[in-house]
Amino acid sequence: MSSAEHDPSRLRPYLDRTVGSSAEVPADYGQAGDGKASGLRPYLLTGGRARPLDADLEIEAQVMTTPAGRADAGRLTFELRDIVVLCQQPIAIAEMAARLGLHLGVARVLAGDLIALGYLAVRRPDSGLHNDVQIIERVIRGLQTIR
Amino acid sequence: MDSRPSADAWPPVVTGARPPLPVKIVIAGGFGVGKTTAVSSISEIPVLTTEAAMTQAGAGIDLTSHTPGKTTTTVALDFGCITIDDEIKLYIFGTPGQDRFGFMWHDLTAGALGALVIVDTRRLDDCYGAVDYFEHNDTPFVVAVNRFNGRLDHHLEDVRWALAIPDSTPLISFDARERASVRDALLSVLQRSLQRAEHRVLRR
Repeated sequence: MSSAEHDPSRLRPYLDRTVGSSAEVPADYGQAGDGKASGLRPYLLTGGRARPLDADLEIEAQVMTTPAGRADAGRLTFELRDIVVLCQQPIAIAEMAARLGLHLGVARVLAGDLIALGYLAVRRPDSGLHNDVQIIERVIRGLQTIR
Repeated sequence: MDSRPSADAWPPVVTGARPPLPVKIVIAGGFGVGKTTAVSSISEIPVLTTEAAMTQAGAGIDLTSHTPGKTTTTVALDFGCITIDDEIKLYIFGTPGQDRFGFMWHDLTAGALGALVIVDTRRLDDCYGAVDYFEHNDTPFVVAVNRFNGRLDHHLEDVRWALAIPDSTPLISFDARERASVRDALLSVLQRSLQRAEHRVLRR
């Protein structure tokens, strides 16, 4: 898993089209950077749905594969399997979308499905968090340590 | 890669017991204004990109009755992150959209601690949409003029006048290439977030 994270050819699929990434990236589905498949069928993967089951699912929500997701990975379709394989460690939905070359809207829908199936656990920003003084103060202190 | 690791590989040991608590700040502004540069200056990971759908209010005459005045465009969304402490992870989304915004914009910005609107003084009108949006949504935001090549071509007071933003909205200048400068710009956003949060506590 960690090799995928550190492989620079996977990090910016849309921006660097010169890297010969075909060896590293599965060629069998809409890798948005290759300019072929992504424009054609992103919402085919979701059965045409543009919204996740929970319409408020945030793009920064952290998802992580559950034991059930691991156990059933082999029975899932390509895209869903890729997600449960990738999310062995907590990862934001947006990050999952970027690393798998999925359209962000598609990633939200598929993540919502996997959460509903019990294959992904999710940690979402608490509602009202953006008004939580203590959280904001912690973020400020954390940022101040950056040099 | 073996997709069936042994049972004792679970739970993963890398990050501790719980996933981090995600928070986010949005960086908005027109095309080429320095959003991605700013994200990459401060992010602890290389900037990631994903495609997102943006619904824009159309200009001019509506051509179809069932999509009144709206077009959906696909835009690139750049983002990075910073580990704040052992629990909180801050995501920074560079959000495009120099025009009018639709519902996907809400999906990208809902729950944000605050927003930084980057301004290019050569194309001031590119940021009007973002300023309007954050004003109407009561999102704490700061307007920041990017000093291209380290230079500030206009006085900030003149920029404030041209943008018609109230004195209560902070207006700063920064250099998107400089890590410390981006950090300070984000800190000024968070000061606004803090003021609003404290204000809400007092009102309760």
